[in-house]
Amino acid sequence: MKIMDFLSKKAIIPALKSTKKEEVIKELVDALIQAGEISKSHRNKLVEALLAREKLGSTAIGQGVGIPHAKSEYVDKLVAALGISPKGVDFDSLDGEPVYIVFLLLAPQDSAGPHLKALALISRLLKDKYFRDNLRSSKDEKVILKFIMEEDEKKI
Amino acid sequence: MPRIKKTIMIKNRQGLHARPATLFVQIANKFDSIITVKKGKDVVNGKSIMGLLMLGAEKGSIIQLQAEGDDAYQAIAELESFLLMEE
Repeated sequence: MKIMDFLSKKAIIPALKSTKKEEVIKELVDALIQAGEISKSHRNKLVEALLAREKLGSTAIGQGVGIPHAKSEYVDKLVAALGISPKGVDFDSLDGEPVYIVFLLLAPQDSAGPHLKALALISRLLKDKYFRDNLRSSKDEKVILKFIMEEDEKKI
Repeated sequence: MPRIKKTIMIKNRQGLHARPATLFVQIANKFDSIITVKKGKDVVNGKSIMGLLMLGAEKGSIIQLQAEGDDAYQAIAELESFLLMEE
């Protein structure tokens, strides 16, 4: 599996508008709707599922990265959106640090295996500080996409 | 300084996903010991959620915990019982 197998090319936001977790999650869900990955009629259910997951514990995983995620009957395959926040988002993280890179992941109900694999790929992609800095300084989605595709090609 | 190692099989049916990884780090952070988790050829910091997720440890996979420090014994005991409790 590669990042580009589930990251929607059209759902990359180089400058998230909001600095609030809930609003950022909505921005990214809307990006997935605009990209045609999910149906607009499921917007509220999906946002609810993502927020319910956050209530169980923040999905901030350190180093300024957040991975809001949920499983839902309203998605038929693993799909992700990516947003970069210039100002940082308050994510109730364990380390108290704001989140600058938000990878939002939606998965079908019965997808424990692929879901775990996707989380592993995202973590591997973002573990390198240099790479994270590159993403954060990118001003448009084409550049972000290029960085990610290059990393994707490195692993076989 | 004591160094303790323990090999454990992941029991959680969804594997070591985001929530258990976060809880694991919260426990690990209570200890001064250096804690690492190894799976295959990957060795990651047991106090990093991102590190643990990188392992992609699914149900049935074997991981090796290691703690090094004065509280290593206690750290391994708590982390092990946490992992065995997770279903």
